[in-house]
Amino acid sequence: MSVSSKHQIEILVAILICVGFGAALYKYMVLGFPLFASEKETVWQLEGKVSFIADGGPVTLNVNLPDENPHRKIVFSDLVASGFEYQEVTEQGVRLAQWSAEHAIGPQVIYTRSESYFRDSAEEVREPIEAVSLFGLTEAQDVLLQELLGELEIQRDSTSVLTVVQLLNRVGDERLAFILRDHQSVEQRNRLAAHILFEAGYTNRVVSGIYLEDKARSQPIHHFVEVQLDRSRVLFDTREVVQIPWDRVILLRQFGEPVIELFGGHNSEVSYATTKVQRAAFTSAVNLAANTENPLIDFSIYSLPLSEQNTFKLLLVIPLGALVVVILRNLVGIRTSGTFMPVLIALTFLQTSLLTGLMLFVAVVGVGLILRSYLSRLNLLLVPRIASVLVFVIIIYAAIGIMSSKMGWQAGLKVTFFPMIILSWTIERMSILWDEEGGHEVMIQGGGSLLTASLAFLLMSNPYVADTIFLYPELLLVLLAIIISIGSYSGYRLSDLLRFSPMERY
Amino acid sequence: MFRLASPKKLKALGVVGMNLRNVHYIARNNPRHLYLNVDDKYRTKLLCAEHEIAVPKLLGACRSQGHINELSDFFSDREQFVIKPAKGSGGKGILVIVGRDGDDYLKPSGQRISHEVLCRHTSNILSGLFSLGGKPDVALIEALVEFTDDFEGFSYEGVPDVRVIVYRGFPVLAMTRLSTHESDGKANLHQGAVGVGIDIVSGKALRAVQHDRPILQHPDTGVELSALTVPHWRRLMLLAAKGYEVSQMGYLGVDIVLDKQRGPLLLELNARPGLAIQMANGTGLRPRLDFVENCANGMNPEERVETVIQEFK
Repeated sequence: MSVSSKHQIEILVAILICVGFGAALYKYMVLGFPLFASEKETVWQLEGKVSFIADGGPVTLNVNLPDENPHRKIVFSDLVASGFEYQEVTEQGVRLAQWSAEHAIGPQVIYTRSESYFRDSAEEVREPIEAVSLFGLTEAQDVLLQELLGELEIQRDSTSVLTVVQLLNRVGDERLAFILRDHQSVEQRNRLAAHILFEAGYTNRVVSGIYLEDKARSQPIHHFVEVQLDRSRVLFDTREVVQIPWDRVILLRQFGEPVIELFGGHNSEVSYATTKVQRAAFTSAVNLAANTENPLIDFSIYSLPLSEQNTFKLLLVIPLGALVVVILRNLVGIRTSGTFMPVLIALTFLQTSLLTGLMLFVAVVGVGLILRSYLSRLNLLLVPRIASVLVFVIIIYAAIGIMSSKMGWQAGLKVTFFPMIILSWTIERMSILWDEEGGHEVMIQGGGSLLTASLAFLLMSNPYVADTIFLYPELLLVLLAIIISIGSYSGYRLSDLLRFSPMERY
Repeated sequence: MFRLASPKKLKALGVVGMNLRNVHYIARNNPRHLYLNVDDKYRTKLLCAEHEIAVPKLLGACRSQGHINELSDFFSDREQFVIKPAKGSGGKGILVIVGRDGDDYLKPSGQRISHEVLCRHTSNILSGLFSLGGKPDVALIEALVEFTDDFEGFSYEGVPDVRVIVYRGFPVLAMTRLSTHESDGKANLHQGAVGVGIDIVSGKALRAVQHDRPILQHPDTGVELSALTVPHWRRLMLLAAKGYEVSQMGYLGVDIVLDKQRGPLLLELNARPGLAIQMANGTGLRPRLDFVENCANGMNPEERVETVIQEFK
């Protein structure tokens, strides 16, 4: 190995590690991938149904898009209605979904589907509300309101807000009844509450949204007041007089604009259905990234169909098994029968579980060796001999399967997961080894193979490891870097230290 | 019994480990395309003939299953011979016949085998049972070396040989491998043969190991191993050094046997010689390999042997 090739290896390893970790870090920090795929998160699916009757001319329908909270990410999946052209527009800071058609007549239904999930990021500081109340009270009502407020002790916290809002629910107070006289509807009461809070010195605004309830079919739009308290914003339901946590609602309207605007039609109605779904945390991250057409996601295994993804999930752990083999052979110095045979056995263990797998392996190879020892006397050519061993192996599979089934040990049927060609070669090699170097060497290599296979299995079957490598396949580059470094490691193996220990005394 | 050496001490002793041997010495000095020179013993024999190097006489080669039928004619007037796979490794598949008893053949252990067994063995060789990767092979039939008596009592039931590590043409370490009952007459350390380190200057025994552990006496004959001296040492060293010209391999194991009449004969070459030789010598390879790396290129075999003897005197 020349100096330049040594440098090449160092540079290559450095590049692989940088690219591998870099991509993983980017996905984690920027795209919001979770650390483990086993992390679950709650996703809310919001289905909006807008129905209206078109007048026969050009139609334009604007629907407020759900709002992104500090804790909420929204992923749209489906906003298309046949016959309508869809585009997203922003008018005065409000995101609108706009459907338009040149010609439409009769009843129309448009469905919107969106998904939202919560991220654990710290609450970002949003610009404070700068709303002024435009609510019109008569002078007399105003005087009464000031009088009512004067009776309250107002502090700048959420309990105090609730006390103010509670004012509206007082029963039997003449002054209140007078103020409420012209404002009976739910929406107007909410606006009144906002006004009272404004008069009490709270910066606030009226917002509307939907309660997130699992399997709720047609949800009405609720009205809330969003209050600025110091640096945070708190949401209140003025009717129930409670503070609403941000993860309980999805906001549709923030600036008092209408939720739905229809030109060229009438009788518009909108209702929402909400569904709660538990799913793997990374799915949302993938959807979100795919939505923004991130090339790192667009050209990754996540773009494959789900069934193919599962195949790759299995394939991706094989390099981990190879790493175990490399470490055990080149750093520890364990001898195995066949270089990567242990990896294949470990893959089988994934199907059979470790203990069953070990038992079945020992049974098949043990019986196979006994049968093979008879073949030694028969003067057979190589290929027919291995073919015979293959037939033996199949017969042993069948025997184990039938016997274990009769004995009610269903795990025995899993013997078929073992790769029979590999086992045939293993039996053949071990048999020759037995003839040439004795049973001792067979035990060493057989034991070494099983130990390697077991360790590879433990690593490959670990859900954290498997999920992480599936979430961050670019870590395979780091794995490759490790394997390459071991490939150029010229220090002692553990077995060297054991073997040459007598030399210390010379 | 699991005592581990400290890597620092081994390094100070200059012991070469498996990884260092593979990465540093074999990969750098033994180009891939030359492996056939040593892995195919038939080819080695041809190359040796080209360089006028003494080898055990090749009686014939069995190349196809059809040839096996002719074996009984071929062996009808032969008492002693060796059948070996041309591409075998680690001494696998070598069958030594030391005598006849009617139609049966006698192995060194006295065990008799029938002609049928011998044919099956040859057939196994041809079908690639002993070759690397199971590739079809050729069975070589060699004359049995008429072995020198100098090793009387040092070896049990078999032919001892001398293994010399030749680095870039310079013989650097040597040991003789004595067969034991356990090794079934074979001079293979993996199979339980005894390795006795030989002083590269004088040909005298240094230390002995079996199964990687030091021993003092031959396990079967009880002879004190330190009394061993290899005869014709200078000629043997020269033969080993010439192994480099034959194979062009930079890191080479040369196996030599001593014939009663013909003296040292080159038995085979090995591109991946084992490391147990360091224990048999009680010396690490590293200092000697480093010494060779600082030697001038282009010396002839005689000069190289002289250089080594002068240096390690």
